[in-house]
Amino acid sequence: MRDERGFSLIEVLAALLILTLVITMSLAAFVERNKRLRQASEIILAYQALANEAEYRRRIDYNALEAASAQFISDTTLLAPLAPFGTAVRVDRTQPNVKNVTMTVRWKNGQREARLALVRADTGGTNLW
Amino acid sequence: MVNRRAAGYTLLEVIVAMAVFGLFLLILGVLTVEMRAQEKRLPVNFLRHPQIVVVISKLRRDVLDGHGAKPYRSSFGGYTQSAKTLIIESVQENGGVQTIVWDFRTPGEVHRHAYTVGVPSDWTARGLPADFSNSLVVGAVGIPGRPWGVRVKAQDGNGRIAIDQILQPRAHE
Repeated sequence: MRDERGFSLIEVLAALLILTLVITMSLAAFVERNKRLRQASEIILAYQALANEAEYRRRIDYNALEAASAQFISDTTLLAPLAPFGTAVRVDRTQPNVKNVTMTVRWKNGQREARLALVRADTGGTNLW
Repeated sequence: MVNRRAAGYTLLEVIVAMAVFGLFLLILGVLTVEMRAQEKRLPVNFLRHPQIVVVISKLRRDVLDGHGAKPYRSSFGGYTQSAKTLIIESVQENGGVQTIVWDFRTPGEVHRHAYTVGVPSDWTARGLPADFSNSLVVGAVGIPGRPWGVRVKAQDGNGRIAIDQILQPRAHE
């Protein structure tokens, strides 16, 4: 009788394949969710460091912006979980009296990056705090 | 004689099927362990907690609106400036000045007491994570040529820095 014959190897492998597909898809969704949460946490850390650096770059005299360090001046201990990471600051003159100060944090061997740009204008007077 | 179909699987068939599935489970296990190890490097993201976001946002607003070059008072209304208490004079929308006391001493809570011409108004954030409350400290940060800023730091339960923000008063002239 057919019911007593059991399953063939092909039938068992087909069943395992279906089970594997279901588990893989579930895990893929889980992994993707965790990846995005991790990226969100990394970005939160990076933007806190960028915002802190911006406070220092706001104060530097307009004419001394290019001469200032091309690395972050502020404390970057916060970024330790992203190690190895790199920081960079670039100054571009966009108009005669306007400069863009672009601060960048890179991690994961440069694959991930967060940037914050600060626009500085030459007011001709002393810096406002 | 037993029909081959009715005899079930051979040992070899079962071993092959289990080996294929076992290999798959092994790969999943390795990936999961690796993923967990990556996650453990990062601190708990306190800024996903809505109440903490509100606390930091309001605190930032108060500090950015700090009144004058020395907006901090050493004491006010029984409170003393400390790592768990911030006293600051802040400019209001109508141009008046408010004395604000941020009190971080109560576990799980943050209290903001604002005094306008001596009249208090209180705001409280509750349900904050214990690690946030216990580790949060308010310090001073000096940037040359600017008034003292406020540095807010908090660590998660494993001592990893989760919040480190410099809040700097802005000029209002």
